[in-house]
Amino acid sequence: MYRYDEFDHKIVTDRVNQFRGQVNRRINGEITEDAFKPLRLMNGVYLQLHAYMLRVAIPYGTLSSKQMRMQAHIARKYDRGYGHFTTRQNIQYNWPALDRIPDLLDELASVEMHAIQTSGNCIRNVTADQYAGAIADEIEDPRIISEIIRQWSTFHPEFSYLPRKFKIAVTGHKNDRAAIKLHDIGIVIVRNNQGEIGYEVHVGGGQGRSPFIAKKLADFVPAEKLLAYLEAVMRVYNMLGRRDNSYKARIKILVHETGEAEMRRLVEEEFSKIDSSQMLNLPEAELERIAAYFAPPNYESLPAQSDSFETAKQNNAEFSHWVKTNLVAHKTPGYGIVNISLKPIGGIPGDATDAQMDVIADLAERYALDEVRVTHEQNLVLPHVKLDDVKEVYDILSNHELATPNIGLISDSIACPGLDYCNLANARSIPLAQEISTHFADLDKQYDIGELKIKISGCINACGHHHVGHIGILGVDKKGTEFYQISLGGSADEKASLGDITGQAFTEDKVVDAVDTIVETYLDLRQPEERFLDTYRRVGMEPFKEQLYAD
Amino acid sequence: MPTKTHLIANGAIIDDPWVFIDDDLPLGDTPSIISLDRLKTEADALRSRNAKLGVVLRTDTQGKTKLGEDVRELAPYLDMLSIIAIDFPVYRNGRGYSDARILREEMGFDGELRAIGEVLFDQWSFMARCGFTAFEIDADIPLKTFNEALSELGEAYQPASDNQRGVLWRRHGL
Repeated sequence: MYRYDEFDHKIVTDRVNQFRGQVNRRINGEITEDAFKPLRLMNGVYLQLHAYMLRVAIPYGTLSSKQMRMQAHIARKYDRGYGHFTTRQNIQYNWPALDRIPDLLDELASVEMHAIQTSGNCIRNVTADQYAGAIADEIEDPRIISEIIRQWSTFHPEFSYLPRKFKIAVTGHKNDRAAIKLHDIGIVIVRNNQGEIGYEVHVGGGQGRSPFIAKKLADFVPAEKLLAYLEAVMRVYNMLGRRDNSYKARIKILVHETGEAEMRRLVEEEFSKIDSSQMLNLPEAELERIAAYFAPPNYESLPAQSDSFETAKQNNAEFSHWVKTNLVAHKTPGYGIVNISLKPIGGIPGDATDAQMDVIADLAERYALDEVRVTHEQNLVLPHVKLDDVKEVYDILSNHELATPNIGLISDSIACPGLDYCNLANARSIPLAQEISTHFADLDKQYDIGELKIKISGCINACGHHHVGHIGILGVDKKGTEFYQISLGGSADEKASLGDITGQAFTEDKVVDAVDTIVETYLDLRQPEERFLDTYRRVGMEPFKEQLYAD
Repeated sequence: MPTKTHLIANGAIIDDPWVFIDDDLPLGDTPSIISLDRLKTEADALRSRNAKLGVVLRTDTQGKTKLGEDVRELAPYLDMLSIIAIDFPVYRNGRGYSDARILREEMGFDGELRAIGEVLFDQWSFMARCGFTAFEIDADIPLKTFNEALSELGEAYQPASDNQRGVLWRRHGL
């Protein structure tokens, strides 16, 4: 994992001290809430429906046990005993008091964390594949370039007042778990014929009220030139992006209105100007310095198969089910990647209590080479667990309601905070996620249905990623009543697609029935080995529509 | 927008020798800042004028895109200009940061770059890094507050138009 040097420490500490001054001036009344707003937003502090909310950055979703323990401590000391992991691999606290936030940030800084650029119209926290460094067939650990992008984008003097927020995601694997085609910039690490590492750059993806799949603007940007290329994209956007309407201000609209070819030409022209000074050439020594922090940990040399693990599976059906859904193959023989579901049946997606976070921190320290990952699907990962230890880890997780065997299944849904917390929402999302998960609580049924991703947003801003849900649910407000629009066939992976709307929206009491109808229609139509998404792509919308709107 | 402003340049509050002249008024022999349109249409006459000249780049607040004037249009006239003022109609509109860096790093402008409009606390150090040397700010803000704000964030990761090389490079003695 990356560790701060004296420069990183100074940058974060200076920021906390600066914000403490700003908060003091706000509390003394020296500055108004209006003048304070841009300052607090730059530090991750939102004013929500009921209170201030603080969003803490978890760069590329990687935490050490010490950092996870700090989250538990913060949840206990500054919040109401829980935190909420988000779809951008961050964690949010819903109830901190404003005058205590500078102290909270000081405590975060003590474990090399911050809330910088987790809000505002700037480059946000960089996200990456949660299996980085642990999965086989990776071209390069995406956290290396993500950390470089984190540093380059921190307090970028030119790009801190963009037309709108800006999100970058990185994957180093052919299977995209970071939804890179739905980001303002999505980066795929590639290797060319000479064996050199470079970056494929996709620009202009996004969700919200106008969803777009990103366009590939560059096939291969050499590592040394990536920052210059990114500055070129950012500068074209900062100069030409629309500022008249916040719904049209994201770079996806600029790419759409400009056209892919012209956008590529503009970026390349800007790149040649920026690159001519060579000022942004990334030093190889810096790449190596950062890469060294992500060198593979000291794995033990183990046989590929663990007898105790195999026996435990045979003797315990529940464990065996959990292994099937929650354990993923590791690149190193004798190890596995453990997924921890934060979607207990009937629970709030992404929430974890202070006690649970402490347990996970302990597990990471004892069994997972001191690492935890946050996934964009709002779950957690212990990336390097010996197969010999998996049963013990499972038992401890079970004791703390952290062993729900549902990763990728219908009850593993994403949901935004919705009307329960958010002042933008039209409808509630969390209660709906809870109802669906309770309706499909039966595990055998869930296994029979197989991989099915439900994503729920409480408004058109699409924080719950409904456009890319295999089944997407969007809360809309019609004359004060909560309605839900359903879409089918979305996907956020390397074959990204946007869902198609089924038709008329459903009232809240009919949504679960509608999802049930969709699932039953799939079960009727599917061919052997077909997942929901495969069936939908084969048969299209009609059969689903017929059943949904039969009467 | 503050009703009363003062001008800070190179770390001190200074009297402003410059006057902004509307397009329909004649130019005298005092240092004058004019619009880009006027600069383009009257360039030949202005070359023989015997007083310092400046231009203001505005961000369009009409039109559907609110993009603003293109800084690169200044290229043929740079040798005539002692000052370029860049307008920030609202603090959220950060287009002027790119204008400033393009002027300094790509076009090589070395005269005064002045930030006008909504020029607030959290922006000053970013503006300075992008090449601004003069700031028109609320007259109620003391010089001390301004200077402290510039030094609150002591290190920067990335290069810009100031002389900091960026931590990503300095770590390796570059």
